[in-house]
Amino acid sequence: MARRASPWGWSPAGRRRWALILLWLGHGVWVLSGPDAGGAWRNAASTAERPVEALAAAWRGWRLRRAERATDLAAAQTELAALRQQVQALETAQLDAAPKLAEGAAAVQLLGLKQRLPLSTRAARVLLTPVGAPFGGLILDAGRDAGLTEDQGVLAPEGVVGRIWSVGATQSEVLPADAPNASIAVMLARSRATGVLQGLGSNQAAIRYLNNQEVVQAGEAVYTSGLDQVFPRGLLVGYVTEVKPGDLELQVKVALAAPLRRLPLALILPAQPPLEVQPPLVPKRNPGEAR
Amino acid sequence: MKRALAARPPAQRVLAAAAGALGIGLLAPWPGPQAALHAAFVFGLALDPESALLTAVWAAAGGWILEGSLRIYPHHGGTAWADMTLALAAWWLLREWAVDDLRAWMGRQAILAAVWIPAVHLAVRLAAGPHLWGSGWIWIALTLPAWSWLGWRWLRPAGR
Repeated sequence: MARRASPWGWSPAGRRRWALILLWLGHGVWVLSGPDAGGAWRNAASTAERPVEALAAAWRGWRLRRAERATDLAAAQTELAALRQQVQALETAQLDAAPKLAEGAAAVQLLGLKQRLPLSTRAARVLLTPVGAPFGGLILDAGRDAGLTEDQGVLAPEGVVGRIWSVGATQSEVLPADAPNASIAVMLARSRATGVLQGLGSNQAAIRYLNNQEVVQAGEAVYTSGLDQVFPRGLLVGYVTEVKPGDLELQVKVALAAPLRRLPLALILPAQPPLEVQPPLVPKRNPGEAR
Repeated sequence: MKRALAARPPAQRVLAAAAGALGIGLLAPWPGPQAALHAAFVFGLALDPESALLTAVWAAAGGWILEGSLRIYPHHGGTAWADMTLALAAWWLLREWAVDDLRAWMGRQAILAAVWIPAVHLAVRLAAGPHLWGSGWIWIALTLPAWSWLGWRWLRPAGR
């Protein structure tokens, strides 16, 4: 019994059948692809690969988030270390700059004082401020080379500092107002009573030769009287802190206004200044400066 | 009701199909007669009772020639696909369902045409996009007796 060939096999009939199916399906696919055949295939491919793309996007997102977490921590630690170094550098720079800033502020104040005083003054830097020395004084960076002589008055923006005690070639020593052997002719602001200021140490001084009949109040300002020919009249020296009647004279304690142990700069008055100096009513202006 | 058909010789079938396809191409300046010949071709001249494959090939060729002669569609192939499909349906009916009466034959051809016309329009729409119906379907309907009679004489579905 001969075996019958399958109509779907590789027989002439089967090949014709497959050719017919392919012809019909090919036409169908070609028709369904539409005018923009490439676009249709692209759309079909995009639709088919959409789930895979979503899966890949989720995978990439997870890896990115994971990498960002790790990177963020490392970056934060690096940034923290850098910021710590920066803070340390800034603190060091601030410490380095603090004296300069203080000196700059003092220089500004000194410049204001210099402009207010109608005298030929000179500024000098304080090199050393010995603490506790009975006759110790401030060391200035100016001496005979700057034309300084002994007994020139020394000022600070806050008040009187003292007088030049000795002059070297390039440096000079100042006898501060609170030294026991210092003496400055002073007067009281309210009573206008005059006396001599003698140092007690520690930024303190006492006014000698005040009559018991004088009325002095604590907190009263003390100015130079100009009688010693070292300071002109009217420079602030300090404020009265204590007043007690004594056997022969009034015992008045004064807190000096100038911080004698913390002076970066000082202003040196000319030798034997005039008794009375009047500050200019209107500050000097440059010719081209607008009013 | 299946019975053997008295098919025409192969050379005649090929010549008739080729002549029909050529006529479709040459009638391009006259869309109405072209549509009528197209119907006669799909449901008569292109049918090869002994080969479904040749039937499909000739029907597709007629569709491609028609669209190529019209040159109005951006993407051809819709008419060929619909022609192929309906020609195969007609081929199957011809083999499997013999008709002895001309009226019944015309009725079957009318039903096939009624399915074929929207199928062509749909396939062309899928392939080339929206397009006008045109007046071809009117010509096909009006010339139904003529082209169905031609198919009746050529295919001899009654087995004469």
